[in-house]
Amino acid sequence: MRKFFALLVISAALVGIALYAQDAIFRVNADMVVLSFTVTDSKGKYVNGLKHTDFRVLEDGIIQKLSTFAEGNRPPIQIMDDGTSKPLSVSDNTTKETDLKGPSDAFVGTNVFVLFDTSNYMYRSFVYASDAIADFVRGLDKADSVAVYTFSRNLSRAADLTRDRNFAIAGLRKAVAGDDSALYNGLLLTLRDAAKVPGRKVVIVFSNGPDNGSMVAPDDVRAVAEDEGIPIYVISTAEVNKDPISSGVFRRIAGRTGGKAYFARTWQKQVEAFESIREDLGNSYTITYYPQKNPNEGFRKISVEIVSDTGKKLRVRARPGYRPRTS
Amino acid sequence: MRLNCTLFLFVTLVSVTPLSADLRRARDLELSGQIRLAEQEYKTDGGLAYAEFLERRRHPGAMAAYEKLVTATDVNTKRQALKRLVVLALMDGNRPAAERRLNAYREAGGSGLQFTVNPRPAASTGFADIPGPIRSFSRMAALSPDLSPEELLGALARNVVTNGYQAAGNNEGLDQTEYLKLVYRYLSQAKELEKLSKEQRIVIEQCDTAQTGELLKVLGYRMRGACGGDLVLETVNASRAFLTIDSGFPLADLELALKTGKSFSYEYKPTKVNVLYGPTYWTEAREKDKPDQSFIEFFMSDPQLCRLYLGLSKLDPSTAEDLKKAMPVQRLRAFSHVLDFFGGMLQIRNGKVAVPGDPRSSAVWQEFLTVSPDNGPAFLEKLISKDDGWLAAYFEALSRMSGPALDYLTEPGRMKRFYLALRGKVTSPGPARPVFRASTDLMLLTSRLRLDANGKPHVPGNVETWKNLFINHPHGKYDGKLTKSAQNWKDPDDLLEALFALSRKAVDNEPLKMFLALSDLNRNRKEPLSPAGVEKMLKEWKLYGAQYSAFAEMPELSEKSMLQFLAAAATLNGIGDVQLKSDAVGIFQSLVALTQILNRNHLLSTGLDAAIDPILTQIPAAKNSRDLFDAGKAGLQHLLKSAGVDEKADPQVSMLALLAGAAKPADTDTHRTLVAEMQKVFDAQRLVSLKTIFDIDENLNAPSSGGKINVALVNRLSARIIEQQPPRSSLSGAERNAMAFGYWVDKHIENERKINFRAIVDKAGSDPAKLKDARSNLTGFLRDTLVGLAYIHYAPPGAQILFTNPHFVRSHDFLGVQGTNQTWRNTEVFGTGWPSSAGGRLVGSLVSLPYALAEAEQNFLIPTREQALIWGDLVPQMIVAAKVPRYWRVTPAQLHYAGLHFRAGESLLAQSAVDEKLRAKVVTALARFAPPARAEAVNAFLELGRVGDALDLVTPSEAFNLVGNLISTGDADASSPQIAEIRRLKESLPQELSVSSISPSFGTPKPTLANSYQPQLLSLRTFPTLMGYSSRILAESWESSNIYYAALADELGMKPSELNVHVPQWTKLTVEKIFATHLEDWPALLRSLRLLGQEVRQSTKQTPQGSN
Repeated sequence: MRKFFALLVISAALVGIALYAQDAIFRVNADMVVLSFTVTDSKGKYVNGLKHTDFRVLEDGIIQKLSTFAEGNRPPIQIMDDGTSKPLSVSDNTTKETDLKGPSDAFVGTNVFVLFDTSNYMYRSFVYASDAIADFVRGLDKADSVAVYTFSRNLSRAADLTRDRNFAIAGLRKAVAGDDSALYNGLLLTLRDAAKVPGRKVVIVFSNGPDNGSMVAPDDVRAVAEDEGIPIYVISTAEVNKDPISSGVFRRIAGRTGGKAYFARTWQKQVEAFESIREDLGNSYTITYYPQKNPNEGFRKISVEIVSDTGKKLRVRARPGYRPRTS
Repeated sequence: MRLNCTLFLFVTLVSVTPLSADLRRARDLELSGQIRLAEQEYKTDGGLAYAEFLERRRHPGAMAAYEKLVTATDVNTKRQALKRLVVLALMDGNRPAAERRLNAYREAGGSGLQFTVNPRPAASTGFADIPGPIRSFSRMAALSPDLSPEELLGALARNVVTNGYQAAGNNEGLDQTEYLKLVYRYLSQAKELEKLSKEQRIVIEQCDTAQTGELLKVLGYRMRGACGGDLVLETVNASRAFLTIDSGFPLADLELALKTGKSFSYEYKPTKVNVLYGPTYWTEAREKDKPDQSFIEFFMSDPQLCRLYLGLSKLDPSTAEDLKKAMPVQRLRAFSHVLDFFGGMLQIRNGKVAVPGDPRSSAVWQEFLTVSPDNGPAFLEKLISKDDGWLAAYFEALSRMSGPALDYLTEPGRMKRFYLALRGKVTSPGPARPVFRASTDLMLLTSRLRLDANGKPHVPGNVETWKNLFINHPHGKYDGKLTKSAQNWKDPDDLLEALFALSRKAVDNEPLKMFLALSDLNRNRKEPLSPAGVEKMLKEWKLYGAQYSAFAEMPELSEKSMLQFLAAAATLNGIGDVQLKSDAVGIFQSLVALTQILNRNHLLSTGLDAAIDPILTQIPAAKNSRDLFDAGKAGLQHLLKSAGVDEKADPQVSMLALLAGAAKPADTDTHRTLVAEMQKVFDAQRLVSLKTIFDIDENLNAPSSGGKINVALVNRLSARIIEQQPPRSSLSGAERNAMAFGYWVDKHIENERKINFRAIVDKAGSDPAKLKDARSNLTGFLRDTLVGLAYIHYAPPGAQILFTNPHFVRSHDFLGVQGTNQTWRNTEVFGTGWPSSAGGRLVGSLVSLPYALAEAEQNFLIPTREQALIWGDLVPQMIVAAKVPRYWRVTPAQLHYAGLHFRAGESLLAQSAVDEKLRAKVVTALARFAPPARAEAVNAFLELGRVGDALDLVTPSEAFNLVGNLISTGDADASSPQIAEIRRLKESLPQELSVSSISPSFGTPKPTLANSYQPQLLSLRTFPTLMGYSSRILAESWESSNIYYAALADELGMKPSELNVHVPQWTKLTVEKIFATHLEDWPALLRSLRLLGQEVRQSTKQTPQGSN
């Protein structure tokens, strides 16, 4: 059973894949919802150490039965029918890794996709941004994997998902400065890649905002992130008041996917922004569940309640909902 | 069996004699696509036939099969095997093996083959140093890393000319662009780094040394943290650091070495690049006041010199040498722009210039230039300096032609007359002055001119029609003088003269566009349009001209139907209610587009006129939404019926099956895959199926005849409408008001979302009349579904918008931004890069939907290496070429025939390396399709035995065409297994393998060049980039991709129908591998095609697979 669950978690994002283990065939559908969130107190400090029993997750008001629970980069635990829990084995060498894309223990740690704007709009801050991203990559938790993508008119996969920090930084340091900026096209393609990887994932966009080449609207891209459960963090080097439209869009995209937007004009502020994201990743909770029956085929509102927080003093930051995949 | 083998050899040698009965079965299997079974049959024979079968299929086992025959007792078999082994070794790039086999061939009594003993000397070159590694320089100068040192300086010259300089603020000179400034800064940094290198390496043994500090200073970085694990490199000088990163210096490796205490070693030495004629030749043109610079810096500082470099590198070496001798570099420099754009077709042979139309035109050329073409260098000097390049442009345009049209235009009197018209009285500015050639219309006019059976140029309508146009000019005056002279027109030449005169105009050359469009419209018609029809078309050009390409693609459409179309369009244009107009136009245009698709794929069992009639007549007659729905439904049902679909069949399923391109295909797997792909897009767009729409329609009608409303059905539609709820906008109300556009389409979507069918039905109660009226609410949904069906047929490979923006189809704006009328214009992409809008959308009619859709989706393809540099117009055309053609009607024999041509071309080129007589013929044939300099370069490589290099210079379409040409002139080597097979095939299947069958099977759509999306092979020389059309015409003249894919599929034993799935996929992969330097860098495209071929071969089992 333990092995079954490991397979289940790994395969959550792979639609309709059948995994064969011994005599049984385990079919995993793509309905499983992965939900990452942070809990902060009234002063904005992260609240750690909460258990799965502290949470109640509702979809359109319907209580959900949790499948797995994890805090920070710790390995997830499986939640049994009776509400008890047991650890999921990471080192189970019978796991069929060959069928899967991404690191073998991808469900431990976070898969971080960094999307770096190398368009003309970043010309002046290109090298400082590169330094800040390199610092961020170096400082990631050992369990995390990182991919570095760049975009200008097109997307470029500078470094595929890896735990090898040097490989990721080498990819980053080979980025070529481009011309036009198609931020939302690039973000969409990054989300598509991230969606294929099992486990928890986030996308971090480093861009100062202007976009003169995208064909997709930010709102449609945000919907993809929402549906796939991928928080988007944005670090912009532009001043908020200089481009209120872009900064407004950044805030809403980040907010509605469970991420955050930072406007860090100086190099130091960029480093701080990355530090904040790292903290977010290390202090977040991740739960998975299979949605209960719900006739709503449109947007399903998710709410996470903390059962033990009777005074409602704690704040949960999570994506507000998603649209189920159409069959 | 041995007897059979001997017989077969005889058969091969005489090439067209029928095969022996024993081998005929094998061949029949082969031709029916059962390759594996055929191979077994041939293998049983085991003789030459088997080896040749393998060679024809480019099977890796061909060499081994021939090897077995070199010990054959039959001397003919032995010789043939050895000869083929020589060719295969040459194609393999294995010269020693080729020489060994050649010796054995001679020992076996073979003759006629030998490597060239004294190959001609190569063009004189010298070398110059570029500081630092070539890869770094290439990155900074935006050059493809695949360029060889020989090609680099030419590519750099082009980038300097096109991107290096801009007009200075004071308008009296040129300023360097940021691009060129960065290249100079990089060179400066590279020189500093070179100083730090010892023995051509930058070596850092230890972290904490002065040397490390110096290196980091040059790189613009510093250490943060002490040497060791905590050390990090960070920017200290942003300008230098930018150069370090952008040039690809291995900073991450350096950092790692400093962290780990290991030594860092990086090869850093100047790169030697070839300089045509050596650096000294170019520095002779140096102006005295220029400071002392390295050659490369000097070179980049002089855009005119760069242009001369480009121009001379386009000439074949001996011609360039003659010209150099005749003109000092300073003088040549003054005409560098002319040489660059129009020098490519110039050629001196034995002291004479080969002039187009020679010998008849020779005297006219002499009259133009006062020098005889026999005096080659002097003639060329005069040519490039005459009339600021107009005569050179004329020369080039005519040189690209061949056949009767060339003969016609080079008749002495005519040639002179047309040139004088083209040149005009004021020659400046010449056609080579702008960044791109300003002779687009001239090239189109000459390359697309067609002659009627009477030997006169085809004039749509008659001369009188055009005379009226020029005199009355309903769309505004074209040219005062032409209006005056038109009064006296009597002959087609009068019109042609006017068109040549208009060709010199860089913009708004409307009459020429009309002439070409209507000529193309008539091109494939059994009966040309009547003068009255042409007159009407000309009159309506301004409004509906863009739609004529649909007529050109459907030559079966009668003139009456075309005029009906125009009348219908006029009626639809007059609708005042914008929502009704959008719906009516959307339904009308989408039904025409669907008719066009079905007609293109030969799926209409009734006549085209009959199929389209209800669309043309009933939709314009609709007075309101309900009528419109009825007319749209009737039009679609009639179309399905015309395609042989049973009335009771599910319209949605039937239409999807037809849009896959075949009604009852044998290859059901491929068909199912295509249908499934389209269904995915259909679902992603949340469109309502035709079946649901029609069912509800009938249901709402039911109470009129005593039936009942099916509530479940109504609920189903309501549920689908709810799915359309768009995600909440990421814009605030104020932002939407400020930034959003496309009011009418937003309103269309909003109206649909507001429709509550359940409520409507409830409100109507049991009143049949009200329920009938309720059907008008279905009109918008029908429009979306019909438009969506056209979209999904053309959905590009790797599409993202169609899967991400569920309103993309619904957002199609048939009216255009307020204040414009784009209803009947070409489809255009709007809203790109406007993050606050609802995303990009398509605007205008559906007539050029395939291209617009490809344009919208192209940037979602992900380059496998660095950012792509030249995609622009090239990629949409490649996608169009992948998505429009379907391969259901292509037979295995046709696929094999196409593949054989390509492989025979390569094989003959390889054989030419050891067969001087054949080489002369092959190069002559190649020169009909490739410019003289390239044909000569191929010749030179073949003389040197460098077959691989020669093949790199020949495109698949050129290889394909040269074989056709050699066969038609009887110059192909009959002993070549591919040539023998082509002849046999052609003899046994003349109709199936005729030009008119092969051209649509493996051709590409050419909406700009031929005003039609009908796939076809034009076999034109590859066009250059042209002003106004940029690389679009160049891309349309590129016919190699589909030929290459066909050859690849044939080689791998695939069914032709599988190309329906593979061609789009392969195109996507090809595009993602392109890394080109400039717009005309088709060798980069060729490289990516070959890479794709290697990957496909590796991933496919090497043994031929058939359908057995």
